[in-house]
Amino acid sequence: MKLAFSRAIACAICLAWGLPAPAHHSGAAEFDSSKKIDLTGVVTNVEWTNPHAHFYMDVKDSIGNVANWNLELASPNVLIRNGWKRNSIKPGDLVSVTGVRAKDSSNYASAGVITFPDGHRLTFLSADEPAK
Amino acid sequence: MKARRSDQVSKRIAMGIVSGALLAIFSLPAQQASAPGQPAPSTNDSKPKTGNIGLYRNQQLAPDGPAAKLADGTPDLSGVWLGSGGSDADISNPKALKPGEQVVMLPWAEEVVKNRLSKQDPEANCLPAGIPRGSPYPWRIVQTPTHYFILFEGNIHSYRQIFMNGKHPDDPDPTWYGHSIGRWDGNTLVVDTVGFNDKFWFDYKGHPHTEKLHTIERYTRTDLGHMSIEVTIDDPGTYAKPFTTVGRATLMPGTELLEYICQENNQDLPKLQGPARGPGGQ
Repeated sequence: MKLAFSRAIACAICLAWGLPAPAHHSGAAEFDSSKKIDLTGVVTNVEWTNPHAHFYMDVKDSIGNVANWNLELASPNVLIRNGWKRNSIKPGDLVSVTGVRAKDSSNYASAGVITFPDGHRLTFLSADEPAK
Repeated sequence: MKARRSDQVSKRIAMGIVSGALLAIFSLPAQQASAPGQPAPSTNDSKPKTGNIGLYRNQQLAPDGPAAKLADGTPDLSGVWLGSGGSDADISNPKALKPGEQVVMLPWAEEVVKNRLSKQDPEANCLPAGIPRGSPYPWRIVQTPTHYFILFEGNIHSYRQIFMNGKHPDDPDPTWYGHSIGRWDGNTLVVDTVGFNDKFWFDYKGHPHTEKLHTIERYTRTDLGHMSIEVTIDDPGTYAKPFTTVGRATLMPGTELLEYICQENNQDLPKLQGPARGPGGQ
């Protein structure tokens, strides 16, 4: 009971600060909860890999310059159990992403919520609907 | 292209059959009883209970019921579990210690904890977590008459082997998981481990240990879906006195272990900054 409690607390702290849920490293050591991102762009690549899945997206700024961002997700074993599929997001998809940026201020972030044009959403950990 | 894809599908099916057969062989003793890893289908068509377990949403929960036993009366711990025997964030957290216990480090260990960096954490480097550190990923216990195995989905896709009623070697080679022997004390599996290397950290904070580490784990299945875990940590090279951590594991009857090869694409490591700390910075 005590362990379950401490895990729940750790998870709650991470989520409250916008940090990714506990993984193989400290989220607080990698991401800055004060550096929020809100990006819209087109997915260019997906890496369905461990210890984290990643997707990349081209984001245009107001004067048309394009930057490619690297967005981090949980690992495929966690995502699959929470309703994701390996093709839940794919190159060519137009998506909006909120999350937190890496402490080194590179174009690298933890993807908190991913929203598609039809309104359905994926998160760092889970899909809208549970696994079928 | 189609032929190649079909070839790959055939290979996957063949690998699945081989893995399934191996698992079936390893699981034979467990399946003589109620196969707690996969509870029998309900006879009244009611759906199994679901709920969140750790990071996992809408998971099948174990039905209420007493702890399972094998046909010969041995407690049956087999199945897929989530949890660990202490706090992964900070082993000295009083909430994950036996009441009244304290973690008292020797001065050198206090200095080490102050100076460790997150990027040095073996866990972040995809190296084994040791004992009793857990992870957000499930693990499976497999019982055979002579060996018990703990198969870890992550942090690294590895395993421990426990030699039942065995003896420690006189001078064990230091390893990440040490040399483990097991015995039953009533309904509690007692695992005694020596022969550790000094490389893994007890937690995200970086609590260290030496090769003098000796752990005694006590696993008790308290009902069909839950197990209590206590771990006594005795390392006179690092701590002024032994202490005992407490934790719990929950059965995940609706899932199988999945692959998790941490070394595959670990982009995080060069981005980790600052002192060793818990997942949320605590």
